[in-house]
Amino acid sequence: MKRVVLALLLPALLMPALLLPTPHATASEAPFERSEQRSPCTDYDPLRRAFFGDTHVHTALSFDAWGQGTMAGPGDAYRFARGEALGIQPYSSDGLPSRSIQLGRPLDFAIVTDHSDLLGETRICDDPSQEGHDSLVCRVVRRFPKLGYILVNGHVYSSELPSRYSFCGSGGRVCLRAALGPWQEIQQAAEAHYDRSSACGFTTFVGYEWTGMPGGRNIHRNVIFRNATAQRFPTTYIETPTQEGLWQALDQECLQAGNGCDVLAIPHNSNVSAGSMFTVSSADGEPISAEDAAMRARLETLVEVTQHKGDSECRPGAEDELCAYETLPYPRMADMAHVNSEPGQLPPLMYTREVLAEGLLQQARLGINPFKFGLIGSTDTHLAAPGLVAEDSFIGHAAGTVDSRLQVPAFPDRAEFNPGGLAVLWAEENSRDALFAAMRRREVYGTSGPRMTVRMFAGWDYPDDLCSGDDFVEKGYAGGVPMGGDLPAARGARAPKLALWALRDPAGKQSPSHPLERIQIVKGWLENGRSVEKVYDVAGEPADPDALDLSTCTTRARGSDQLCTVWSDPDFDPDAPAFYYARVLEVPSCRWNSYLCNRAGVDCDDPGSVPRELATCCDTGIARSIRERAWTSPVWYTPAGQR
Amino acid sequence: MVTRTIRWLLFCVFVLTVPLPMLGPWGVLAPTARYLLLAVVTAAVMAVEGAAGPVPLILALFAGHALVYLLLSWLAARLCTRLVNRLPAHARTGVVVAACAALLLIALMFDLYITPFGGLPHSNLLGLLS
Repeated sequence: MKRVVLALLLPALLMPALLLPTPHATASEAPFERSEQRSPCTDYDPLRRAFFGDTHVHTALSFDAWGQGTMAGPGDAYRFARGEALGIQPYSSDGLPSRSIQLGRPLDFAIVTDHSDLLGETRICDDPSQEGHDSLVCRVVRRFPKLGYILVNGHVYSSELPSRYSFCGSGGRVCLRAALGPWQEIQQAAEAHYDRSSACGFTTFVGYEWTGMPGGRNIHRNVIFRNATAQRFPTTYIETPTQEGLWQALDQECLQAGNGCDVLAIPHNSNVSAGSMFTVSSADGEPISAEDAAMRARLETLVEVTQHKGDSECRPGAEDELCAYETLPYPRMADMAHVNSEPGQLPPLMYTREVLAEGLLQQARLGINPFKFGLIGSTDTHLAAPGLVAEDSFIGHAAGTVDSRLQVPAFPDRAEFNPGGLAVLWAEENSRDALFAAMRRREVYGTSGPRMTVRMFAGWDYPDDLCSGDDFVEKGYAGGVPMGGDLPAARGARAPKLALWALRDPAGKQSPSHPLERIQIVKGWLENGRSVEKVYDVAGEPADPDALDLSTCTTRARGSDQLCTVWSDPDFDPDAPAFYYARVLEVPSCRWNSYLCNRAGVDCDDPGSVPRELATCCDTGIARSIRERAWTSPVWYTPAGQR
Repeated sequence: MVTRTIRWLLFCVFVLTVPLPMLGPWGVLAPTARYLLLAVVTAAVMAVEGAAGPVPLILALFAGHALVYLLLSWLAARLCTRLVNRLPAHARTGVVVAACAALLLIALMFDLYITPFGGLPHSNLLGLLS
C-alpha cells in the first residue's frame, strides 16, 4: 500500500520542480517550447524578468477609433510603444496633427487588438475606391460621425442580433473581403516591429478584439496569437455572437489546425458586463459542463482587471474599502448615459474576485476550474497609443465618448474613465514564445499604470528571513510556485507561506513615481460550500490620507521604496480550496482630473469663474485622489482529496 | 405684406436660425431644421437597414425634438405676427424683412450652433445644412 501511495505521490511532488526554472538554465534549455525562427536573445535570465506592455490597443482600423478621428495605424502604434512621438487628432485640413504625444519610457511589448467587427466596413467607408463607399450608412458615418457611431454601435456591437449592413452584400461578402486588407495590415505591422534580432528589444503579437456586447452587456475578448500563425480571418461577433462560439472557432481554426497556431483569449471589462461575461450556465440554461470548463480554462488564462473604462477587481461597496477604486457607476455600457443608483443592485459575477471564488465552487462541482485567471492591466487606448497611462498628462483615450476628432476637449474624457494600466509578464527573455508562455502559466500581474516590480511565491517551507538574503528569487522558485501557480499538496496541517517582494516604480526625473504604501493579501476560500474572502495587510502600513495636498498634488506620505515579507496564512484550513493574490498599493496621489483642473487654475470656491466645460472639476462625486496599485495573479490551493 | 405671409416668413426663419437645446447629455444647440435633418437621415437609415438596436429610439428623439420645436416656432411666429400687426401698415414689411435678414445674417456669419453630431463642434447656418 505504501508503495502505491508513494508511486502516486512522487510524480505529483516532483512535477512542480520539473516545471520550474533552474538557476543554471540557459536559452537553449528554456522551459518553454520555441515555435518560431528567430535569433536567440542575448539577454536571457532563467530567473525571469518583468516585461511591461499593453495588450489592448486600437488604431484607425477600429471603427470607433476611426470615428473619433484617429488616423494612426498599427505600425504607428508599435512605433509609439517603442518610444517614438505620435501625432494625434484633431487634424488640420492639410492632414497635420494638432498634438504630439510620446512615452517617457518605451514598452517591452505591445499588441494591437483592433475590433474584428467592422474591420471591412471601416475600410469601405474610409476608402473611396471601395465598393459600398457611397452607401447611405457610410455617408451618414462620414457626415454625422457621432450619429453614425451611435447607429452602427447599436446595429452591431451592442445588438443582440448583430447583422451586416446591406452594402456588405449577400452573406457580408463585400465587407468580409474588404476586411482582409486591414487584417493583413495588422499581421504585417506585428511582424515588421517584432525585434527578431538577438537584442530582443521589443515584442509584438498578432491580435484582435472580438467585440460582443449583447444588449449593452460587455463580453469582449482580446484574442492573442502566440506567433505569426493566426486565423485566416478573425472571428467576429456578427458571425459568431456567443463566447462559446468564439472558443470553438479558436479551437477549430487555430488550436486544431495543426499549423503551429496557438492562441489565448483575454476577457475585459467584466465591470460593465452585467454578469454576462463569466457565465456558469450555457446558452440553453444548463450548468456548464466539464468540457466547457476545460475549453475555457485552456483559452482564457488571463483577465484584464483594469483599463481605461474602469477597474474590475472587486465589487464597490464591499467590506474591502479599497474596492472603491476607478469604479464605473453603471453595470452595462448601455447605461452610461444614466448613472446607476446603488452598488447593491449590481448583478453577480461582475468582478474578478467573485469570479475567482466562483471558480473554486465550479472546481468542486466539475473537478476543473473554468475561472483560473491571471491578472493583467492594459489601456484600451483608441488613440493608437499603447502604454499612455500617466495620470499627470492624461489626454483621454478617445474611446467613442468624446469628440476628440473635432477639437481638443477641455475635459479630455468622461470623468469616471481613467488612463488605464499595464500588463507585466515574468519571462526569461523578450520573445513571443517566452512572453506567451508567461501568459499561459499566468506568471503575470497588472498595474494601474506605474511600473512597480512585484514578485510573489507560495510554498510551505520558506524561511521567515527570506527577505534578508540576496537569493529571494532563487529560493522562491526552488521552494514553491510563482504567481499564477498551484500550491503543491499540503504537508500536514501547516499553513502555506507567501513570499512577497515589491519595488517602487523607478520612474524618471520628469515624472517621479510615488512610494509604496503596503502589500495586501486577498484570500478567497470555500467554507461550507460558500465562498468567503478576507484581506490582510502584510507589509507596510496605511498612509495618512491627509498627507496629499490636492491643490499641488504633492504628498508628505513617506512610504517605502521596497517592501518584502514572508506571510503565513493564519486562517488556513487544509480542507478548504483557496486562492491568494497580492495587491500592492502606492501612497495616495492625485487622480488625472486633479492634475488637469489644477493646471487650468479651476477655483471651485468661486463657481462663477469655472468654465462650463470644466464644471466636472468641481463635481464632488468624482474622486480627486487614487492609490495606484498592482495586482498579482493568484496562487491556488486545492486540498489533496479534491485535486 | 399680408398677415399670413408674415407669419410664414417668420416661422421659416425661426425654424432655420433659432438655436434650441437637445434634451440629454449631447450638449446640442441647433435650429429646428437641424433636428428635422437628423430625423430624416435616421429614418432613411432605418428604412434601408432596418430598425435594429437604438435606431427607433434615436429617430424618436430627433423627430420628437423637431415636432416640439416646430410647434414652438409656429407659436412664436404667431405671437410676433400679432406684435408686428400693431405697427402702421407701411412699416410692417420693412420691420419683418429687416428682422428676418438680421437673423439670417447672424446665423450665417457666426458659429452659433453646437453640433456634436456633425463634422464640426460649432457651426454656422451654412455648415449646419450643407
